[in-house]
Amino acid sequence: MSVRQPKKAAEDEAGKIDLTPMLDVVFIMLIFFIVTSSFVKEPGVELFKPQATTTEACDRGTIIFAVDGRGDIYYNKNKVPLERTVRLVEVAKKEAPQANLVIQVDRDTPAYVVEDLYDAVRPMLTTPPCISTDEEA
Amino acid sequence: MRRFAKEAEEESADIDLTPMLDVVFIMLIFFIVVASFIKEAGIEVSRPDNNQSDPSDAQSILVRIRADDQIWMENRRVDARAVRANIQRLLAADPEQAVSVKVDKGATANTVIDVADAAREAGAGTVNWASGERE
Repeated sequence: MSVRQPKKAAEDEAGKIDLTPMLDVVFIMLIFFIVTSSFVKEPGVELFKPQATTTEACDRGTIIFAVDGRGDIYYNKNKVPLERTVRLVEVAKKEAPQANLVIQVDRDTPAYVVEDLYDAVRPMLTTPPCISTDEEA
Repeated sequence: MRRFAKEAEEESADIDLTPMLDVVFIMLIFFIVVASFIKEAGIEVSRPDNNQSDPSDAQSILVRIRADDQIWMENRRVDARAVRANIQRLLAADPEQAVSVKVDKGATANTVIDVADAAREAGAGTVNWASGERE
């Protein structure tokens, strides 16, 4: 009996996989995703964006408003009145002080609505907002 | 006999990681799904303060977009494709000039973006989006 015991233990040892390296990798991935996730609230409207050859990435553009072709303003999948946009930007800025504003526009969007939105939220902004465009093909 | 006791001790000191691994995996999957990797791309257009002086003073290149999306520069109508060349010509005199786009009510954002894009392409440092006629 006491002769077979060590042999069985050795067999068990070999059958067990060492999970530590996998756990390390999983933890690093977990921390990466926690840090990078910024919980962007998408406006949730399909727009036909204007094209621009000088399109560049909007740095930290995570507060996203959309103005559709009729001039309605959308934020976080809801249509919002102009007066509420200041409050929304204020809340978003509190959550992520580094975040910048992005305005998505349609090709038919009346320019004055974008102007009004811009003027309304300007006191909250440190950098000019980014007008979302498509890269010209 | 001594070996036996040692083995049992090792067994009890070994913590079972499986439940923690389960939790960590679920969190990992949650964050992968939530991370949307939105990369917005666009152009930055600044806007002069209403309180500040009229941007149409001599210091900047003025482009006017009328309510019917016509583009006017230096008192003549300019085709959308010719805006870049015109701005480039005016910038050659003074490369530090800013470009002001005066937009009347009724113009579409597409035209404004076209002009702003042309100005940036021509090498203008800043593009200002000013309001034109509002009625």
